[in-house]
Amino acid sequence: MGAPFREHPKLCFTLLALGLVLVMVASLTVGSKAVNIPVERVVGIVLSRLPLIGRKMPEYSDKDISIIILVRLPRLLMGVLVGAGLSVSGSSMQGIFRNPLASPYILGFSAGGALGASIAIVLGLGLFWLPIFAFILGMSTAFLVFFLGRVNGRIDTPSLLLAGIAVGSFMGALTSYIKFMSHRGLQDIVFWIMGGLHGSMWSHVFILIPLISVSSAIVLFFSRELNVLQTGEESASQLGVEVQRSKVILLCVSSLLASAVVAFTGVIGFVGLIMPHSARLLVGPNHRHLIPTSAVLGALFLVGCDTLVRLMGNMPVGIVTGLFGAPFFIYLLVKNRGDTGW
Amino acid sequence: MVILETVGLKGGYNGENVLKGIDLRLESGGFLGVIGPNGCGKSTLVKAISGVLPRVYGDVRLKDELISDMSRKEIAKVVAVVPQKAYISFPFSVEEVVSMGRTPHLGRFESVVGEHAVKVEGSLEAVGLSEMADRNVRDLSGGEFQRVLLARALAQEPELILLDEATSHLDIGHKLDVLGLVSRLNKKEGLAVITVHHNLNLAARFCNEVMLMDQGEIHAIGRPEEVITPNHLRAVYGVEAEVNKDVRNGSLYVVPLIKGDHKTPKNKVVHVVGGGGSAEEMMKELIEEGYEVTTGVLNAMDSDLKAARFMSIEAVIESPFSEISPLKMKENISKMKEADVIVVAPFPIGPGNLRNLKSVEVCAKEGSRVILIKDGDVGARDYTEGEAVAIWGMLKNIDNVKICDEPSDLNELLEKIL
Repeated sequence: MGAPFREHPKLCFTLLALGLVLVMVASLTVGSKAVNIPVERVVGIVLSRLPLIGRKMPEYSDKDISIIILVRLPRLLMGVLVGAGLSVSGSSMQGIFRNPLASPYILGFSAGGALGASIAIVLGLGLFWLPIFAFILGMSTAFLVFFLGRVNGRIDTPSLLLAGIAVGSFMGALTSYIKFMSHRGLQDIVFWIMGGLHGSMWSHVFILIPLISVSSAIVLFFSRELNVLQTGEESASQLGVEVQRSKVILLCVSSLLASAVVAFTGVIGFVGLIMPHSARLLVGPNHRHLIPTSAVLGALFLVGCDTLVRLMGNMPVGIVTGLFGAPFFIYLLVKNRGDTGW
Repeated sequence: MVILETVGLKGGYNGENVLKGIDLRLESGGFLGVIGPNGCGKSTLVKAISGVLPRVYGDVRLKDELISDMSRKEIAKVVAVVPQKAYISFPFSVEEVVSMGRTPHLGRFESVVGEHAVKVEGSLEAVGLSEMADRNVRDLSGGEFQRVLLARALAQEPELILLDEATSHLDIGHKLDVLGLVSRLNKKEGLAVITVHHNLNLAARFCNEVMLMDQGEIHAIGRPEEVITPNHLRAVYGVEAEVNKDVRNGSLYVVPLIKGDHKTPKNKVVHVVGGGGSAEEMMKELIEEGYEVTTGVLNAMDSDLKAARFMSIEAVIESPFSEISPLKMKENISKMKEADVIVVAPFPIGPGNLRNLKSVEVCAKEGSRVILIKDGDVGARDYTEGEAVAIWGMLKNIDNVKICDEPSDLNELLEKIL
């Protein structure tokens, strides 16, 4: 069977974490051709900002410092946070719904978020209001879908998925209408919807750090419930799991993860759908190992893709995640034919 | 200690109640088999007891506590369920699935180590799966997977285990393995067991109490021989069946004897006077035709009585090898008078059972309808030096007494009379 690291999930996690550090360093050194900062200087500038060792570092030019500290570093950290957040959210959604097609966008907040962002752009509101609009509309869409998916006080999975598709389509239609009617900002809307890390700021990083780490930790603490849920909801109840409560908590946390990310970066496709599958193929289905592995894998993948994006001239990262993610996933699929874990 | 008690338990899914009032009590060490036709509410009962039925009215108590006041974990510490089938959507290992049984005992930050791991190992060993701990559950055979589910239930350390048709998909060897293991735990550790069965023979063999359900109600509950009777099986399943006792292990076994369509009950009572095996076939046919049958007086060791018992036919019984007493004769006469017709089988008549013939005479004179079978050979089975032949001859002359020379014509004659 697949899952080569099934017996050694910690080794897999360590390898991926090392890979992530390497990619992060590589990512920092990549910039536009106009700005060429040597590797040792990049490392030096980052180290000089750290406490204790910082003072021993030589002085660097202000221009280099601001490029590294104000542009590349927040973008890099956003890549880590967004990749991990989307991936954890996807693992959790797939676990809750026991459905391989479930992704962080299943409840329609990408569509809601895109509508919110479009409204903010058309109204000419600035970069401060855009994420707020996107977040509010994203979360309200998710709660609407959530509300529609409840049957007799229980979350009914098929109803929820169908409601997600229906509401998502409606929001998508509204966004298209706005795009069609407005000439101003059309390109901005399209660019935002394609998603990317180009607008990253330290303030975004500081908002996302607590949100993503706390939410991911909650998902990790529910990994036993997620495991037991895989035997069916009735069976999980009989094994002592409060199924409805666990589902509500996990859905809220996963929605929060995804809509927070969407608000700042737009819709970055593929990470939340494919990385959980890839992690499962690496370490097996046990969520205790799956959640941390998919977090690191998601971060590694997104930072890697964003690095390529910058090498290729700042296109939306969603294009690259699709271009590289899809063939990678097809490779895993073919290699593990018939045993994708579902 | 009472593990499970339900009082007026009703419930179901949407709208209609599947369970229509179940009163049930199970002590620790009890082994209850639930049987009944498809849709009678067996599996719904399992759901109600394990607290996963959406709509429940009435009380379900586990160890004196209302199930509605208990948390999932508290319930899961008392009750474990082995389902008929389960689909596990990911390739978990055998050990991972069995470890899930520890869920009710683990705190949020605990993991399956130490005593928990020992329990998991013990459960794997109990079902003989220790060697397969690392196998992918989706690569297992049906029998192996069912044992994994049993091990998971055992890892829960329950006080009551519910097997919901858990052995239906297993071959006969694995069926006996699983039930044998549960049975041992029941005897050794006092684990209370409820098994839901389609297989009446397994229910009869393993359970010390059987509950027959019909349309959401308890049709009968008691020891297997009280519940698994032809009358009950006919009423609930609509089949004719012979219930025998296995000479080797003393357990009951059911042989279905369906002959085409089942006859609807006729609400007519036929009292059969027989003995020495003369009435066995006749009683079976009368039952199949839908008559209610009584018989007597028969001696305790008589083969007709054995047949009557298997068919749950009410009989007046005298001690073995002794003459029919006046008391039993009187009792028999009252049975005869209650019947719509008395059928006298071609039984050998001796001094010991002559009173049976005399009873028929009494009733015939008072107007009871009587059918005499095989008039022709009565002399050959008279061991009373002519007394029986004399009574028989007198009987023949009474208006309400009919003669039936061929037992196969009996049914036709009965139809005509009644």
